[in-house]
Amino acid sequence: MGFHIVKRDNCPIWKKCCFYLAAVVIALLLGALLLVSLGVDPIAYYTRMFTMGTIGNKIAYKVYINYLKEFVPLALTSVALSLAFKMRFWNIGGEGQFILGAIAAAFVAFQAGPVLPNGVTLLLMCLAAMVTAGLYGLFVAALKVRFGTNETLMTLMLNYVALYILIFIGETKAEWNFFLDEASVRPVFASFSKIVSFPTIPMGGKFSLNICVILTVLLGVLVFIYLKYTKHGYEIAVVGDSAGTARYAGMKVNAIVLRTVFLSAALIGLAAAFKVGTAGILSTSITDDVGWTGIIVAWLSQLNTVVIFVVSALICVLHYGSTVAAATFSQVDSSFANMLQGVILFLVLAADFYTRFRVVPFKKGGKDNGNG
Amino acid sequence: MKKIIALLMAMVLVLGLTACGNNAAAPEAPEADAPAADAPAADAPAAGDFKVGAIYINSKNDTAGYTFAHHNGITTAMKELGLNVDTQLVIVDEVPEDKEQVLAAVDTLVGEGANIIFGISFGYIDALEEAAAEYPDVIFSHATGYKSNETNFNNYFGRAYQARYLAGIAAGMKSLEMANNNVGYVAAYGTEYAETASGINGFAMGVLAVNPDATIYVKNLGAWADEVNESAFATELINSYNCGVISQHCDSAQPQIAAENAGVFGCGYNSDMTPDAPKAHLTAAIWNWNVYYRTAMEAAMNCGEAANFVPTMGSGAYYGGLKEGFVDISPLSENCVAGTQEIIDAVKAMMVNGEWDVFSGVKLQIAADGTITKVDAALMDNAGNEIVPAGGASVEDSVITGTMNYFVEGVQVG
Repeated sequence: MGFHIVKRDNCPIWKKCCFYLAAVVIALLLGALLLVSLGVDPIAYYTRMFTMGTIGNKIAYKVYINYLKEFVPLALTSVALSLAFKMRFWNIGGEGQFILGAIAAAFVAFQAGPVLPNGVTLLLMCLAAMVTAGLYGLFVAALKVRFGTNETLMTLMLNYVALYILIFIGETKAEWNFFLDEASVRPVFASFSKIVSFPTIPMGGKFSLNICVILTVLLGVLVFIYLKYTKHGYEIAVVGDSAGTARYAGMKVNAIVLRTVFLSAALIGLAAAFKVGTAGILSTSITDDVGWTGIIVAWLSQLNTVVIFVVSALICVLHYGSTVAAATFSQVDSSFANMLQGVILFLVLAADFYTRFRVVPFKKGGKDNGNG
Repeated sequence: MKKIIALLMAMVLVLGLTACGNNAAAPEAPEADAPAADAPAADAPAAGDFKVGAIYINSKNDTAGYTFAHHNGITTAMKELGLNVDTQLVIVDEVPEDKEQVLAAVDTLVGEGANIIFGISFGYIDALEEAAAEYPDVIFSHATGYKSNETNFNNYFGRAYQARYLAGIAAGMKSLEMANNNVGYVAAYGTEYAETASGINGFAMGVLAVNPDATIYVKNLGAWADEVNESAFATELINSYNCGVISQHCDSAQPQIAAENAGVFGCGYNSDMTPDAPKAHLTAAIWNWNVYYRTAMEAAMNCGEAANFVPTMGSGAYYGGLKEGFVDISPLSENCVAGTQEIIDAVKAMMVNGEWDVFSGVKLQIAADGTITKVDAALMDNAGNEIVPAGGASVEDSVITGTMNYFVEGVQVG
């Protein structure tokens, strides 16, 4: 017995969904196996995880608020990354772009916040973050266009440059360093939440909706339209499929790459502005790994904007829910979410393979040589 | 292929059904548990539904290091008080020093019904202050910080320098026996943190009380844990500075192992490191976190409402030392010079009964025969500035508020 791999012509959508669902279920079953080996009841654990501990919680509204605080930067970063990925530009510099955007936003908050009205400051924070992060991305795109450098390596390395800039700011007590709390002897980031922060809309009860959530959904719709119905979106798709074809069709490939990467990085900067403007403080773990997780989300969603929102929402349930569930099970720590997420990604990518190919067995020694 | 899909669908169904089944049963489970939890703590009426919350910087499943020491302290204290570690302790671990993430962890713990929440990392300070104002019904207690309020928010830390002083005596005795006045110290940080500066100073003054000619060479790691450099720096102190005793303020036992490999001696930190370096280790300055955790939990259970917590504790800052048993030294190993135990016991007694403390205008002179003499002498830093005049009172406040940013005379940066 041997087997060979045959391309599937067209996998119907319901079949695809079944494959993906199966992958997630198998991942959860593997997780359950691990939980059992740790002596934890997997059903109790998963129940707590998927409900994020809201059952019997007298401050459940807090869960929703915190959940959305995780959701907004992840969804927006994933959408932004998908722009570049569509064009086959492997921007894995989301972390670095996010960090520089966050620093720029905080800079504006400290400098402009005390003198300008709240709304103007917020607008300036968003703009500053977008431009800073955008230029950070544009730098790599320019090198690629001009010298043919590898953008994967460049964006990856620049992540650490940005991170060390942030750590330097966070650990250096000095006259110029207004990012730090003057009152503290040890270096601690100062809070600007009393100076400026994004407004929230009361939704009845104690829950109030941060305006960033609405803006993120709105931006998602705009990006969807941009990719699907505009000339720019079409150009991105063509460049992604074949740069040669695009050039032959008279498209200015270099300009398209520069423009799209700037936009991708700028949106990540905006996600950072949303995050910082809500938190009211910098931190060396400000990204919460969205630059990495965003890559996973974009791939799991196959770069489909609508699906990205769904997957981001689910990944956040996984993340937030795991923390909550781990709190009450002494054997499991918060890292369980990362493991589960890895298994899900691995299996979904495997399922993805099966949506495109079929494995056909054949008998060895037969006359069929597999070439049909 | 269809068969496989059918099989998987069946699995989903089964999983779904069992999940539903469990949902229905879930609310009954805690009620069934409750009487069992009540039983062992019959003497403490509130104990049955008392819940402890904790926010850790690393994993609660760690087997060594800072988070492990606190987790061990919390669980030990709970067991002593008859609380059930499985049902009455909720933990959010691996929480970085990020205000948003700390506040989210607080929300989770409050949602779980925690009555008292311990945060173990310094950088949680502002988040916990904010949380204490937002949740006045919950007690917040912050390790190594300096903020507090009048009601439900305190901080706790210990006089590790007292234990360091005792370890310094053991090191000083050894340096006399070896006729080697060079003592090394591998430190996470130097004067940037009062925590490390006070530890170095306390140890140095202990050494100098026995051996006034000694010099303490400090090498600064720039990180709380860095096993490679912990070993390398200890080796350099031994080779380049000819140090005969190596003390440390870092996470692992690497400096002690380096000392053993070089045939010299050492004083560890955090846990008894004699098993790690049986031929080198003298004694280690250690923390008994359970001492504070027990005190705090008892106060929390008995003070009625959360607002009475700080008044019950007596102050917003708990700063226990040798007297409370919060800090101590591990049993002296066989490597120590004969007579060390008697001297240490005598000095320890002076600190326990409050007769004398390390950073004051009074110094101890310990003779080779074990006689201890008190001498009025100013506390000087190593740049020649007077910190406390001769006969003056202790500067312990600067250790709590984090303003001790100098080394005492006798300390040299290597």
